[in-house]
Amino acid sequence: MAGVANTWGYGAMTNSMNDIRHSKLIFMIGSNAAEAHPVAMQHILYAKEVNNAPLIVVDPRFTKLAAKATDYVRIRPGTDTAFVMGLVNEIVKNDWHDKDFIQKRVAGFPEMCEKASHYTPEVVEDITGIPKGEVKRIAKLLATHRPGTVIWCMGATQHSIGSSNTRALCILQLVLGNMGVSGGGTNIFRGHDNVQGATDMCVLSHSLPAYYGLKDGSWKHWCRVWDVDYEWVKSRFHNKEYMNKKGFTLARWYQGVIQEDKINQYTPIKAVVFWGCASNSQSQYHKLKKALDMLDLVVIIDPFPTMTAAACEKDNVYLLPSSSQYETEGSVTSSSRQFQWRFKVVDPVHDSKDDYWIMEEIVKRFGFHDKFYKNIKKIPDDITKELCKGSLTIGYNGALPERIKKHTLHWETFDIDTLQAKGGPCDGEYYGLPWPCWTETHPGTPILYDISKPVAKGGLPFRARFGTEHTYWNGRKENLLAAKGVYNPGSEVKGGYPEFKNWKTDLSQKTIKEAIRRGMAPFGNARARCVCWNFPDQVPVHREPPHSPRPDLIAKYPTYPDKEDHFRVYTKFKSEQKPELVKTYPYILITGRMVEHMGGGAETRSNKYLSELQPEMYAEISIRLANNLGIRNGEMIWIESPEHGKIKVKAKVTDRVDDKTIFLPFHFGGMFMGRDLSENYPEGTKPYAIGEPANIVTNYSYDIITQIQGTKEGLCKVSRA
Amino acid sequence: MQGEQGIEGGEKMARMKFLCDIERCIGCSGCVVACKEGNNVPVGINRRRVITINEGKPGEKSLSISCMHCSDAPCIAVCPVRALYQRDDGIVLVNKDICIGCGYCFIACPFGVPQFPKGNTFGKRGVMDKCTFCAGGPAPNFSEKERRLYGQNRIAEGKVPLCAAMCATKALLAGDGDKISEIYQERVVRRGTGAAKAPGWSKAY
Repeated sequence: MAGVANTWGYGAMTNSMNDIRHSKLIFMIGSNAAEAHPVAMQHILYAKEVNNAPLIVVDPRFTKLAAKATDYVRIRPGTDTAFVMGLVNEIVKNDWHDKDFIQKRVAGFPEMCEKASHYTPEVVEDITGIPKGEVKRIAKLLATHRPGTVIWCMGATQHSIGSSNTRALCILQLVLGNMGVSGGGTNIFRGHDNVQGATDMCVLSHSLPAYYGLKDGSWKHWCRVWDVDYEWVKSRFHNKEYMNKKGFTLARWYQGVIQEDKINQYTPIKAVVFWGCASNSQSQYHKLKKALDMLDLVVIIDPFPTMTAAACEKDNVYLLPSSSQYETEGSVTSSSRQFQWRFKVVDPVHDSKDDYWIMEEIVKRFGFHDKFYKNIKKIPDDITKELCKGSLTIGYNGALPERIKKHTLHWETFDIDTLQAKGGPCDGEYYGLPWPCWTETHPGTPILYDISKPVAKGGLPFRARFGTEHTYWNGRKENLLAAKGVYNPGSEVKGGYPEFKNWKTDLSQKTIKEAIRRGMAPFGNARARCVCWNFPDQVPVHREPPHSPRPDLIAKYPTYPDKEDHFRVYTKFKSEQKPELVKTYPYILITGRMVEHMGGGAETRSNKYLSELQPEMYAEISIRLANNLGIRNGEMIWIESPEHGKIKVKAKVTDRVDDKTIFLPFHFGGMFMGRDLSENYPEGTKPYAIGEPANIVTNYSYDIITQIQGTKEGLCKVSRA
Repeated sequence: MQGEQGIEGGEKMARMKFLCDIERCIGCSGCVVACKEGNNVPVGINRRRVITINEGKPGEKSLSISCMHCSDAPCIAVCPVRALYQRDDGIVLVNKDICIGCGYCFIACPFGVPQFPKGNTFGKRGVMDKCTFCAGGPAPNFSEKERRLYGQNRIAEGKVPLCAAMCATKALLAGDGDKISEIYQERVVRRGTGAAKAPGWSKAY
């Protein structure tokens, strides 16, 4: 999401699931939507059928989604940037780029082209394994079918160059002029119905809610929203430095305990709380387990004990049974930035309590309930109101609980193609008030950066977020605001303009309302960036994964230098990239989802029917490789990572993977490096299906910007068990 | 077919049918789980299954199948105790009070539909279970006995079977055969790309 936000303003899906129905082409890379997002498939298949849209699926594995593709492209894991920049180069070289769009709304185009020109079809073939003819053919398909949409998921992001992958895909859409139009956009599918909401509220360590960051001004803004004294909040920190310092991430927090890599914090981590979080989704899980057994305190708040509880083998665990989503209510924000109200179906069962109750009791016992619950009388409505009031950056402020409920209760009045209500109580509004929803009467923004509509009716230009002028490395100076003539209908300024002063912190919302009244976007009207000068690679370039299966390419495409303080921990890049590694660990390791299970699988593996359908952990291995290693279908095998994580799993011999690649589904838990942990589950809570967590063998690899774990570019060795 | 006059002069009754659109089915098994959860079907008994052919290869196709509620159902023809019967709307049901678990229907069925309780090496004989089109069974509508032996009766509530209601991509269609055929026909026509994909077009003058 960092790559996307740094291109044009917001790190979110630009269009919507439904809008895919208007696409003339669908380009999916690192996504297996048929298993991970089956409901979205109805729109994808509709576009394929009705628009005769090519469905291009780029993946190292012939997935269930690939089975629905018109064009399947097998790619070597970790080489997405090389392929996509190769497509960009091919498009520009053949003069297929949208010159008018680029001239008016895009910055850094010539500089980007200069870098992209390296990725000729021949170079792309060498790096990615995709034949050069295919590169040319796919580029032509993209050029001749507009608007097309680009869809990606974790297959594109979970890499050391994940941020470059996402930016390359944004650049592809800019070059084709597919942004801000129905049928186009970057439609990034999030993992479940509230991942966008969780990101917006920043259940992460680098920012306060709604992307305000961790600066003093950010803290002061939220203190005003909460009505809490800023000085008191400051006094709670070890010292002022930690108030503005990014915390540990989900991917590497355990280093704060085991300290194999040097940490930048005054103390090791002593306690951890898992709230609806599956620890077996984290890479190098055997190291995470080591941390669990060293901590003073582990708290698990979940409807199920989870793999975490089974993995803790020290008497330091507390389980707080929370209710499921059906036993509570509140607002959720979907992939396509749409709010919905999740109504309660039944009261919590089995002595579980809902998350609000648990949170409030914890806050009470910490002794600052009086400070943080000033605005919260009615739960959860007042929570929604408070967070919307403060989240001006992303226009949550128009999404009042009453409006959200009205939409959810009258969903049948909204059009499936346009998402707009025709008549009824929500007439003219877009379903779920897709953010930004600027005012209490704003209809929501169904497509980001669409200048065909007035801002008050759901239109927007690109966001002005990166200054008004920039000088590139070659000395060229460029105005970063949109060209003359680029504006939303009714705009007072007939061209680019900077953001309105204080629009993000004016809690009276007068600044935002004033902007809307003048037909303008509060965040300005700028160009989308092909060059991100705040990234280590200003233009996306290929870099071999830290554990590369192609040692011959390491010298030419080396990974980054090590990063000393990457979210409080020393993170190895160059020192981890050893050309000889592939001799001992010769196979590429990738992970992914299966449709029957979800995340860490605590819930789905505790369902007897889903467990019946997928009862066992397995490793996909090609027929040729299995025969070469003397492995037969259904036999047990050991898979071992360079970090000495190892798992004993069943071999599934299949054509889905190529001869160099092993695929593992990551939903299993309850086993650990050949050991059965069944007895560690509290009585009666052991899931029906248990198995080795795939993440025990996922490798050392983290994104240079976000530190997301690189689970789709590791190496491993395989032997008969 | 639609509106065709029956011999008595009245409108012909709707015939219930399933159709699985192979272009739409993504093999997610949502139908299978919906059926089992909704009808409380024991593990090991499958009223519906998803079959995948050519797995992992070009040409991979998935298809959801259950009882096809045949017009001239061979299971009914071979049942020695007349436990199987067909309703006027075409739904084929089994009366579990009568069934002796002989397994003739299993041999006769072209789709491998009839299910028998598992439990030992050769399967212990017991009353047959199969898809009811979510129409319950011969016990009184909405009775406890109907729910326990056959599951939900959504047809009596005016709803389509759970499996089709659940289908995310609308691959699985269920209901009046004429309607289903209309929907499918429309889809096939819309899928057409004009003359470009018509057989022989590339060679035509």
